[in-house]
Amino acid sequence: MAATHAEPSAREIFSTLEYGPAPESHACALAWLDTQDRLLGHYVNGKWLKPEHRNCVPCQDPITGENLASCLLAEPEDVAAAVKAALDALGSWSGVPGGSRAQHLTRLAKMIQKHQRLLWTLDSLVTGRAVREVRDGDVPLAQQLLQHHAVQVHDQEEALAGWEPMGVVGLILPPTFSFLEMMWRICPALAVGCTVVAVVPPASPTPLLLAQLAGELGAFCGILNVLIGPASLGDTVGRCPGVHKVAFCGAVEEARVLRQSLAGQRLELSLALGMESLLLLMDSADVDSAVEGVVDAAWSDRSPGGLRLLVQESVWEETMRRLQRRMGKLRSGRGLDGAVDMGTRGAAACAAARRYVQEAQSQGAQVFQADPVPSASPFYPPTLVSGLPPASPCAQAEVPWPLVVASPFRTAKEALAVANSTPRGGSSSVWSERLGQALELGYGLRVGTVWVNTHGLRDPAVPVGGCKESGSSWHGGLDVSAPVTAPASPCHLLPPASPLPAGLGDRGPAALLPPYGLFVGGRFQPPGAGSSRPVWDSSGSLHGYVAEGGAKDIRGAVEAAHQAATGWERQSAGARAALLVALAAALERRGPGLASRLQRHGVELEAAKAEVELSARRLRLWGARAQAQGHTLQVAGLRGPVLRLREPLGVLAIVCPDEWPLLAFVSLLAPALAHGNAVVLVPSRTCPLPALEVCQDVASLFPAGLVNVVTGDCDHLTRCLALHQDVQALWYFGSTKGSQFVEWASAGNLKPVWVNRGHLRAWDQEPQGAGPELGLRAARTKALWLPMGD
Amino acid sequence: MAARSRGTELDLSWISKIQVNQPAVLRRAEQIQARRTVKKEWQAAWLLKAVTCIDLTTLSGDDTFSNIQRLCYKAKYPIREDLLKALNMYDEGITTAAVCVYPARVCDAVKALKAAGCDIPVASVATGFPAAQTHLKTRLEEIRLAVEDGATEIDVVINRSLVLTGQWEALYDEIRQFRQACGEAHLKTILATGELGSLTNVYKASMIAMMAGSDFIKTSTGKETVNATFPVAIVMLRAIRDFFWKTGNKVGFKPAGGIRTAKDSLAWLSLIKEELGDEWLKPELFRIGASALLSDIERQIYHHVTGRYAAYHDLPMS
Repeated sequence: MAATHAEPSAREIFSTLEYGPAPESHACALAWLDTQDRLLGHYVNGKWLKPEHRNCVPCQDPITGENLASCLLAEPEDVAAAVKAALDALGSWSGVPGGSRAQHLTRLAKMIQKHQRLLWTLDSLVTGRAVREVRDGDVPLAQQLLQHHAVQVHDQEEALAGWEPMGVVGLILPPTFSFLEMMWRICPALAVGCTVVAVVPPASPTPLLLAQLAGELGAFCGILNVLIGPASLGDTVGRCPGVHKVAFCGAVEEARVLRQSLAGQRLELSLALGMESLLLLMDSADVDSAVEGVVDAAWSDRSPGGLRLLVQESVWEETMRRLQRRMGKLRSGRGLDGAVDMGTRGAAACAAARRYVQEAQSQGAQVFQADPVPSASPFYPPTLVSGLPPASPCAQAEVPWPLVVASPFRTAKEALAVANSTPRGGSSSVWSERLGQALELGYGLRVGTVWVNTHGLRDPAVPVGGCKESGSSWHGGLDVSAPVTAPASPCHLLPPASPLPAGLGDRGPAALLPPYGLFVGGRFQPPGAGSSRPVWDSSGSLHGYVAEGGAKDIRGAVEAAHQAATGWERQSAGARAALLVALAAALERRGPGLASRLQRHGVELEAAKAEVELSARRLRLWGARAQAQGHTLQVAGLRGPVLRLREPLGVLAIVCPDEWPLLAFVSLLAPALAHGNAVVLVPSRTCPLPALEVCQDVASLFPAGLVNVVTGDCDHLTRCLALHQDVQALWYFGSTKGSQFVEWASAGNLKPVWVNRGHLRAWDQEPQGAGPELGLRAARTKALWLPMGD
Repeated sequence: MAARSRGTELDLSWISKIQVNQPAVLRRAEQIQARRTVKKEWQAAWLLKAVTCIDLTTLSGDDTFSNIQRLCYKAKYPIREDLLKALNMYDEGITTAAVCVYPARVCDAVKALKAAGCDIPVASVATGFPAAQTHLKTRLEEIRLAVEDGATEIDVVINRSLVLTGQWEALYDEIRQFRQACGEAHLKTILATGELGSLTNVYKASMIAMMAGSDFIKTSTGKETVNATFPVAIVMLRAIRDFFWKTGNKVGFKPAGGIRTAKDSLAWLSLIKEELGDEWLKPELFRIGASALLSDIERQIYHHVTGRYAAYHDLPMS
């Protein structure tokens, strides 16, 4: 630990060869705080806002405890002022040509370059992170992000022709995230023309400084507004009119509360949660380099959280020995010292680490620390926890900074099972010198980012995301603007409704006898409840009966879908496409029957025929798109490719709209299947029969259980699906209330949901019925980093 | 010098499973330079330590007695006396660790050092330096002659073709014979890592050289296109550590070629400190093969003591 006593002489040092202090001056940071009279307000609309009668919290040096400044905590009216400023700026900012926005972002990047020293000293001073990491990592990356998106603006103008910016984007950052997290999210938003209101925690004035630098550019003052306040302000931000997206990074439990409270608020909520990372060490790995990977992941101030380390049993002893030796060489100390590996994170983080270690010990774990834990110091030493029984509460909980929790496994298959058994799915690295094994693990891990034989690399060109409880939001990468744009002018068309043509009732019922039952596990089954519900046609007469599905049927359908999901995911895109095309052909063969069913529900014959035809076309379209998934990214400064993979979500539940009973059903089913998902669908409640009829072909073409269609009380079935913890995503097209409930219930497993909030979609129009939006929502992105060299 | 390394029987299982990931090692090499720094008093003390680890080297075709003599004198008095006094280090007996010359110049060096009245060891390169493309018999004879002339340290180069074709037993046998030929003289084995093809080969060659009884393993001759680099050093240091863990023998490390600035030398010291530990930070286990480095260190110490940047004529040449 860096403790300065009386300075030793060169003679003494010559014999001990100790490291000495290597302090970076932080005078410029203090000078900047002085310009604010050591009182930090909010930066709104290009001006400092320092309202009176606000609670003050101190911003302290985490090592000395010295008060550096006071921060005013934002109240709801401050939030309102910031949102108003962002709304005012929105018109001019999104109205200018993309080139002007690009220029503005480039100017901001240059501004950062001019003030980089101030940025890194201020950030290291108040956060306690090692200055090296901020100086050599964060600040250059912040500039790269701005420049990357400035370039993207040009590229994307054409691609985003049918899209428009979402409007004001709210951003909530919790204490453990660095200012870089803000940059990752504001850059794409600003690039497409959104404006931003960011709520940052009291101890981090760096975002305020960034906002001030942006403000000093003169033009477009209100595009970036930064408030200091607790994460609980997320709710207030989300309720402000004009805010159409809230991006929240932070703790999982806070996210659940926010998800519930913002349900039904007509905004997109994107979550990036948790901080834990994972490292898989196989016996074919370069163990010494993998140990450096552990240092990068947990003990270098690069990542905010702890690390779960899985080590193959045959190299366990060797790994532990090397790891413990390496831990003895790590130096903690003041962040502003040029020769430390780790700074500190303040008292709260130390207390969390201490608590976890005590609990782990009481649950039977061994704890290794190269240095003793200092009793009254802000530092917590690097800690290695092993031997934790898998079923103990600590083994399930998120690993806090700066801990590494190690456990052994026997085979690659087991490693994958153990790694995927946590509710978290952020980032992971795989250490193996065998290419096949590394790729198998890389593809198999349910996480957003996988690094092979490295850990913690980031680049503006590579998307960063997560799955499961790590949140489904993703940012960065080439297709980055999708999360901050929405299809232009949502249509509110009603489906064509016309009086029933005469003579239709004369059709022989025998020819049209509808299939009966719930289509689950590849066949029609009687419902668990044993009851049916009538379907009426548009003239009010009985069209037939469908099975009344319930909670148990949903359970069965989800189980069947899970069984089919793995096999379907492994199918090649070509094989998936072939089946979709075959289904299209079958649908066309069934055309007359389907058209007459649609006719009975009030669709004119020509329109009904067109609907069938368009449905078949949609299946073919998604079949073709299935084969054009994923691509390779080239990253500056890395030799080797980064694969951008589009992976299925798992089991996707879809509640179809009432209108367009066939077309909407097919338009939703096709992208879901094309991207490798297994699906549970609830068809149109007024006209479920066309969907069931299509299932007859599905039964003969597709693997059993891949597509399940459950009819019954739509609200009840929606409820069952929304509350199901093992449904990975839910699309809901129904009422406003239903949408709100789905959003609220998704807080349970934080599944990504897509709801229409009662709006009707123009399913027959290309942008809304088969646009890229569906493809984006039907799969998640994974980045697989493959550095090369020998 | 420390006790001679004993070496071990050849055990190919020590190198059969080894994996070295090159991009990861490159990253570590970048990091280690960015994560450690020493300033002020610490810097001065570390630089003096670096001086005591230098094998002050001249390996040129035009070496004659006069420049060898100058070199030896500089080895004895590497830092200007007044500077050492200012640092209160005058009585520490700071000299370089050795002088290193071609075999034909060993006599000159021994004579010059004797005249200067000091017992700095003379190191000689040998075994067909730098390419090792001569007959084994003459290579062995070269060692014996250099030892006869008074060299107490022999820097041998290995036969790269044995590494590139995977003839590990043959490599072991050759180095064993080198060691025998050295007698009491210390054996430093130059791996010529720039010509070994991969970092995995560097690790394997390091391990074989240590098993065969090398007292030091050395990165390069200074004559290859790629010389002492951090990634190569990291791999060699890991091999030294593994060898120590397996046998309890501490083998020394000598980077050579391309180390020219005081800043470089500090980075090398911290690399040793991080990867092997403080016990390796002494001339018995760590050497830097260099010629121009010493004058840069002396300039830095001049600056530390006086607060001014030195002109070239302020400091005696070597």
